[in-house]
Amino acid sequence: MRFSELWRLSGTAYKEVSFQSIFSLRAGSSLPRSGRRDIKQLVANARMNTLISKLITAGFIGFFAAVIFLPVTTSYTGSTGQEGTALLADVSAFLAVVLFLIVFMGLQVSTSFVSSKIVDVLSPLPLSKQDISRIVFLSFIRIFDIPLIAAAVIFPTVYSLISGSVLGGIISLGGIITAEIFALALTTVLARFFYLRVTSAGGRSKWQTLLRLVFMLVWILPTFAAYLVINFAANIVQSFAGLMQGFSSFSQILALIYPFSYGFLASSLTFLGQTEYTLLSLSAAASIAYAILAYYCLKWVTRTIRNMGVSAMGRGPREIVKDTLIKPQVPWLGIIRKDLRVASRAPSYASLFFLPIIQTAILAIIFSSSNGLGLTTTLGFLTGMSLITLLLPPTLSSIEGLASAYMRHLPMRKITLISAKTLLSTLTYALSLIVLSIIALVLGKNPTLILTYGAIHGFSVAAAVMLELTILTRKFWKEGFAVGNLYSRLSTYVLIVIPGYFLASIPIVSAIATLSIAPSFLLPVFLAAALTEFTLMTAVVMLQK
Amino acid sequence: MYFGVFSSQNTDKTPTASYKYTQEFRSEAEKVLNTRPAPAKPWPQKRIKAASHEDHQSRVGGLRLETAAVRVEGLAVNYGSFVAVENLSFTVKEGEIYGLLGPNGAGKTTTLKVIVGILEPRAGKVEVYGTSVSNEVLAKSQIGYVPEEVVLLDSLTPREFFEFVASIRRLDKESVNSKLERFASAFELKQYFDTPIAALSMGNKQKVAIITGLLHDPKLLILDEPLIGLDARSSKILKELIAFHAKKGGAVIFSTHIMEVAEKLCTRVAIINKGKIVGQGTVEDLRRLVKSAEGSLEDIFLKVTEQEAGMQDIIKALEEE
Repeated sequence: MRFSELWRLSGTAYKEVSFQSIFSLRAGSSLPRSGRRDIKQLVANARMNTLISKLITAGFIGFFAAVIFLPVTTSYTGSTGQEGTALLADVSAFLAVVLFLIVFMGLQVSTSFVSSKIVDVLSPLPLSKQDISRIVFLSFIRIFDIPLIAAAVIFPTVYSLISGSVLGGIISLGGIITAEIFALALTTVLARFFYLRVTSAGGRSKWQTLLRLVFMLVWILPTFAAYLVINFAANIVQSFAGLMQGFSSFSQILALIYPFSYGFLASSLTFLGQTEYTLLSLSAAASIAYAILAYYCLKWVTRTIRNMGVSAMGRGPREIVKDTLIKPQVPWLGIIRKDLRVASRAPSYASLFFLPIIQTAILAIIFSSSNGLGLTTTLGFLTGMSLITLLLPPTLSSIEGLASAYMRHLPMRKITLISAKTLLSTLTYALSLIVLSIIALVLGKNPTLILTYGAIHGFSVAAAVMLELTILTRKFWKEGFAVGNLYSRLSTYVLIVIPGYFLASIPIVSAIATLSIAPSFLLPVFLAAALTEFTLMTAVVMLQK
Repeated sequence: MYFGVFSSQNTDKTPTASYKYTQEFRSEAEKVLNTRPAPAKPWPQKRIKAASHEDHQSRVGGLRLETAAVRVEGLAVNYGSFVAVENLSFTVKEGEIYGLLGPNGAGKTTTLKVIVGILEPRAGKVEVYGTSVSNEVLAKSQIGYVPEEVVLLDSLTPREFFEFVASIRRLDKESVNSKLERFASAFELKQYFDTPIAALSMGNKQKVAIITGLLHDPKLLILDEPLIGLDARSSKILKELIAFHAKKGGAVIFSTHIMEVAEKLCTRVAIINKGKIVGQGTVEDLRRLVKSAEGSLEDIFLKVTEQEAGMQDIIKALEEE
C-alpha cells in the first residue's frame, strides 16, 4: 500500500484514539446527554483538545530549546573550548529531554491507545499484517507529531543561528530524530512489559504485588528523569562543562555513550579547527552506530506496536485459585483500595501517582545544597509539594470514569467518594512531608519548621483537594464521563487545579504578609487560615448528597 | 419444550425428556439463591434505612397483596434534541418478570438506565419500591443491574471487583463469601478469580457482571440483554435464577431481542418502538391487540413495531442476490 494511503487511513485511526482518550468510551464511560449533532461537536472538541495538548507540549519543547539551553552558551562566548563544551552539553541534555518527555507522553497516551482497540478494528479488514502495523505505527506517531516536529525544527535552527554552524545543526537534527525513535521504542517496550506482564498476569500473591510495584517504579523512571533534567538543566550543563575540563580522558569514553556522542559530534564539527580528531572519530563512529540502531528500533516498533492492542494481551499462566474469598471493607476504604489497585496497573495513573514522591526527591536535592532551612525556604518547599499533590484529585477522579456507565448504578454517595480521595491525596502529601523530614534529619538539618508548617498546611491541602473533588464530582455525576488522561485533557486539568492552587496558597501568602507586618502572629495566622479553609470545605462536602 | 419448565409462571407447558436436567439446573439455581446473605450492614444514616423484602409484602388474611416494585409514569428522555423516550408509563409488580422488547434504538436501554439511576429523565416519575430514583442511594441499593455492554474495571481481577462492589454495598463478609462461592461454582468462574477482567472472554465478563448484580440479593433485578455471550449452561442457570427470583417475590425487568426467551420467561412484556410503548401485557393480551389468535411473540412484535410489512420482499430480494 502506498504511503499516502497508509497516512490517510492512520488519520481515521488517530481520530478514534484521540476521541477515546477524551471520553474513554471503550473503557466504559458514557457520553454526556447530547444529541447527534452535539456528538459531532464533541468529536470536534476532542480533536481540539488533543491539538491544544500537542501545541502546549511543542511550545514547552520550543521554549526549552530556545530559551533555557542556548543562552547558557552565550555566557561562554569568546572562550572557544568552553563554548564547545557548553554546546556539547546543550545538545546532549536536549536529546535527553526529548527522549524522556516523549516517553512520558507515550506512557500517558498508551492506555487510550490500547483501550481504543484500533488494532482489533483493523485486523479483520483485508489488509496485510505489515500494512496494519504501519497504519497503527503512523496513528501512534500522529499523537506526537507536532511535538516531534517542534523538537526537530526549533533546536537545530537555534543551534545553527547561535553557533553559526549549519553542519552542527544538521548533526543535532540527526541526534533528535534518533532520540525520538529511541523514545518511541522505549515507550513500546514499557507498554508491552506493562500489558503483558503486569495487567495480564493478575494474581494476588505477594510476588505478583511486588512485581507490580517494581514495574510501577520502572514505569515512572522516565517521568522522574524528564523532571530532573528539566528542573536542573542549567546546573547540568554548567556542571558538565566543569567536569569535562577537569577530566579530558573521560571525554573519550563519553563520546561513545548516547546522547553525548551526538553532542561531541555536533560540537566538534562546529569548531572544526580546534577539534581533537580522536574525539571526532569516536563520536562520529558512535553516532553512526546509534543511527543504525535507531533504524532497527524503528523497524521493530513498526512491527511490534500492533501487539499493544487489548486482544493481543498475553494470557499467561494463571495461578491456581484456591478459594473465592473476598474481604469487603467500609465503602471509603473500598474506594481507596480500588484506586490503588487501578493506579498500580494503568500507566497514565501510575506515573502521576508517584509525582509527589518525585517532587520530594527533587526538593531533597535542593535541600542538600541549601545552607539552612529558614521559614521562607520552608514555605517554598510546601508550595512546591502542594502544587504537585493537587494534580492527584483529577487523576483519581478519572479512575472513577473508567467504567462510569456501570459504576454509576452503585449506591455510592458523593461524600464517601470525596472523603476517600481526599484522604488518599492528603496521605500522599503527608508521606512526602515525612520523607523530606527524614532527609533533613539525615543531612543534619532541623526539620521542626517543615514538620510544623507542613502539618498545618496539610489541612489547607486537604481543603484544596476537597474543592477540586467537589467540582470534579459534580461534573462526573452530571456528565458521567471520564475526565480523561492528563495529556489529552490538559485544559480541563488546568481549569480544575487552579482553584485548588488558589486555596492552598492562601495560608502561604497570609504567612508571608504577616511575616513583614507582625512576625509574632505568623504561626497563628497560618494555622487560622489553614483550619478555616479546612472547616469551610468540610462543611461544603458534608452538604453533598 | 426447553423453556417450558424454567418459569414458575408457565406451568401449563409440557415437560419433556430434558425435564430431569432442567430440574437439576433449577435446584442449582434455588440452592444459589436460597442462601440469602444477611442483610447489608445498615447505613449509618437513619434516613437511609433499606427496607427488607418482607416489608413490601403486605399480607391480608394470609393473601399476599402485589406491591409495585417499579412505577414509571410519563417518562421522557432526550439526548440533546433527539427524543429517546417519550411519555412512557408502566408498572412492574413484585413476583413479576417484565420484558422490555423493541428494535435497536427503541429506547429500552435508556429506560433501564433511568431506573438504575445512570441517566436523568427530562420529565416523568420513576419509583423503585416506592422510593423515587432521585433518592439515589436508597433506590440503587435495592437494584441488581447487568448492563447491556459489560465494561467493568478491566485492570482489576473479578475477586478485586467483587470486593470493591461488596464494600460499596456494605455487604457482610461471611454471607457474601458463601454466596460468592456458590455463584462462582454455578457459573464456573472460580478459575478466573485472579485473572484481570481485561483478559477474560466476553462471556466470562458477563458472568462477573451477573454475579455482581446478584451479590447483594437485590429485590429488583434489571437485566439488559443478559444472555449475550453466555454459554448454554450459564444461560440456562441464569434463566432459572430469574424465574426463581420472581417466585421468591422479587421483581425482574429484562430486555432481550430473543423473542422465544421473552415469551417463555416473562409474565408480561412491553414492546417499545421509537421511544413509546406500542403494546403491553401478557402474550395473550398482545395477541388480542393484533387480533391474532395464534401468532408467536415474534410475529406480534413485528406487527406491532410495523416491521412486518415488506419484510418478505426484502428477504426474497436478498435471496435472489
